[in-house]
Amino acid sequence: MIYSLAVFGVLLAAVVLPCKAVDVEHSTWETIFGGVSGLLFLGAGAVAHHRRPDNRVGLLLVLVGVGWFAEDVRFVPFPVTHTLGLMLSTASSAFLAHLVLAFPTGRLGWRPLRRLVGVAYFAVFGLTPFGALFMDLAGIGPAYQRNLLHIDAPWMLEPIRRLVSVIGAVVAAAVVIVLVARWVRASAPQRRLLGPVLLIFLIGGVASTVGNAFERFDPVRLGALAVYEVAFCLLPLAFLAGVLRVRLGRTAVTDLVIDLQQPLTPAALRDRLAAALGDRSLQVGYWRPDAGELVDAAGAPLPLPAPGSGRVVTYVDRAGDRVAALIHDAALREDSHVLRAVTAAAGLMLHNQRLTAEVRAQLVEVRASRARIVTAITEERRRMERDLHDGVQQHVVAAAIGIRAVEVELGPQLGDGVRVLLRSCGEGLETALYDLRALARGIYPAILSEDGLVPALQSWVDRLPAPVTLAAAEVPRLPLAVEATAYFVVAEAVTNAIKHAQADRIRVTVAAEVGAIRVTVDDDGAGGADLGAGAGLMGLADRVRALDGDLVVRSEPGRGTTVSASLPATTVERPA
Amino acid sequence: MTTRVVLADDAPLVRTAIGVLLRQHGLQVVAEVGDRPALWEAVVSTQPDVAVVDVRMPPTHRLEGLEAAIQVRATFPQVGVLVLSQYLESRYLTTLLGGSARGVGYLLKERVAGAGDFIDAVQRVAGGGCAVDPEVVSVMLASRRDDPLQRLTAREREVLALMAQGRSNQAISEQLFLTPKTVESHVRSIFLRLDLPPEPDTHRRVLAVLAYLRPASATPPAAGS
Repeated sequence: MIYSLAVFGVLLAAVVLPCKAVDVEHSTWETIFGGVSGLLFLGAGAVAHHRRPDNRVGLLLVLVGVGWFAEDVRFVPFPVTHTLGLMLSTASSAFLAHLVLAFPTGRLGWRPLRRLVGVAYFAVFGLTPFGALFMDLAGIGPAYQRNLLHIDAPWMLEPIRRLVSVIGAVVAAAVVIVLVARWVRASAPQRRLLGPVLLIFLIGGVASTVGNAFERFDPVRLGALAVYEVAFCLLPLAFLAGVLRVRLGRTAVTDLVIDLQQPLTPAALRDRLAAALGDRSLQVGYWRPDAGELVDAAGAPLPLPAPGSGRVVTYVDRAGDRVAALIHDAALREDSHVLRAVTAAAGLMLHNQRLTAEVRAQLVEVRASRARIVTAITEERRRMERDLHDGVQQHVVAAAIGIRAVEVELGPQLGDGVRVLLRSCGEGLETALYDLRALARGIYPAILSEDGLVPALQSWVDRLPAPVTLAAAEVPRLPLAVEATAYFVVAEAVTNAIKHAQADRIRVTVAAEVGAIRVTVDDDGAGGADLGAGAGLMGLADRVRALDGDLVVRSEPGRGTTVSASLPATTVERPA
Repeated sequence: MTTRVVLADDAPLVRTAIGVLLRQHGLQVVAEVGDRPALWEAVVSTQPDVAVVDVRMPPTHRLEGLEAAIQVRATFPQVGVLVLSQYLESRYLTTLLGGSARGVGYLLKERVAGAGDFIDAVQRVAGGGCAVDPEVVSVMLASRRDDPLQRLTAREREVLALMAQGRSNQAISEQLFLTPKTVESHVRSIFLRLDLPPEPDTHRRVLAVLAYLRPASATPPAAGS
């Protein structure tokens, strides 16, 4: 349909241009320039439509061209065509305003813009034809220049012409304002689209202003007119350049395809994609089917852009499966061809990188869950200690006291057998209390939660049967799991040293490092200990790593053993 | 005159049992309470000779018994405070003493059921004396592994432990079946060997011994280590 319209425009040109050429009003150059401009609009429109059938810019370009030649229909030497030409004498300008405002998307979107374009159409196809009714050149020009619909009311002519020119000026000013505002807000890819059009408008506008200013000085006026005409010729080409960016983009896609032959890191791939698409802010997200979310190359969740933020998501699918997504400037959607080519070219590499990103994301989750498990275990131990203290221990204490009271009260009246039984029950309960106390302390020392790591270690070291020295820095209160893990690492390592190392000296060191705490147990014993051999230390190494710390054992035979654990530590405020 | 006792423990069964035991031995329990605010109220209103206080009580179930004991000692010096604890921690003893061994005690809870020790400790603290759990003392003794303690004879170490528990020379001589004169000479010898100035006063003697047994806690690590 658009092609037919363009062909119609060309036929129209073939009819009107010879007629215009013979008309005395116009110079040959003017006719040639005008013809070239109009034909360029028609051609550019056809090409634009061919490249982007879903974009209305092509149609509008063709309409400008058709309107352009329709304005000259009045030179076709028949009264009917002359009358029609008078009616359509400004036809192209409304289409042109519409085109400029709708470029590059082909849509006007914003309601005030639609109204503005509506006003332009009203002036061109409503007011101008109405004004033409009062126009008649009969007797002045050639015989065919006769207005068949003429109404004899010459006083109407001037007000309508003024109204039309005021509307024209307002629309022109609005178009300039809109274009400038768009340029100011535009992102880099958008500017590349708007740039040529804006430049041509600027040149044309300056030439027109200069020409008007030097109205009485022919050399300048004619020069400015020439520039203006050339600029108008270039205008369809400028619009076409926006369309031809597809072609430029295709070159970038070719480069990308060559680059993709080498394996790239996610960062390098992102840079290549950004270059190919001309959007430096491009983000690459990898799809996680199980979580139904996008993650970055490190596996961290990637939020989707908010609607209206000017950024949109284009998903990359491969063999029916979602692989990745590009988060990019909305303007790239106008180049859907390039976008499709780029995503198709990068699909395989994105697919490979997605697997890595997914594994990383799972790792992130597993690490978080490991840390949660360690914290939960620590909490559980503390709760068990409290339950023992507040429950079982109290009942056993009460029972022991009760037996004691019975003994005091009834002692002399009891038979020997019963008295001995009571006494051994009492002693059994005392032993039970002793064991319970040791058990509770082993599960979770209350002093650890009340006073922190160093007092707890000091208290524990004090009651050891072997000489163990403790050297400790000032350590702030740390998260429960960190304090408990550090405590149990020391307890396990010291117990191992006492049991197996035959050491003369065992030393415990607690040091505060930047954002971390380090506990070290070293002895001068036999050495030769193995992290894998002791299940206790192995389990603790797991707990240390679960908290993102590390545990190192150095133990060469004859050179003693050093167990050192570093734990990331953020200070916590606790209720006193 | 009967010893008047305020009893504070949040476990009703334990409270009742201790109450029965105290009354059996002729002491007068003037109030039985289950939390810190009630303890404070009872001490203020009854002005007892001694308050027997569980280390952990509502509302927070942490160390409010210990904190309440310190508060009572600071406000009413004439009221003795005996803290019953499940924690074998000399650190809490040091906190509780706070520079005075007058009318204060720290016993492990199971001691209550053991023969006469508990009643003796209550009486001692009520009378302005000091009572430290033997097991706490033995942990403190064990933790000092430096030379001066090694210089003591086995008998002298026994005497030192009893001094640390807050016993008078009289009590020590009865317990170890020694004459008071022998105990005195052991005491002099201990102070000499530990480089402590002689302390004739029992309260100051306990403090000096406990301070000796529990010096500054962990030392900071040497530079570069």
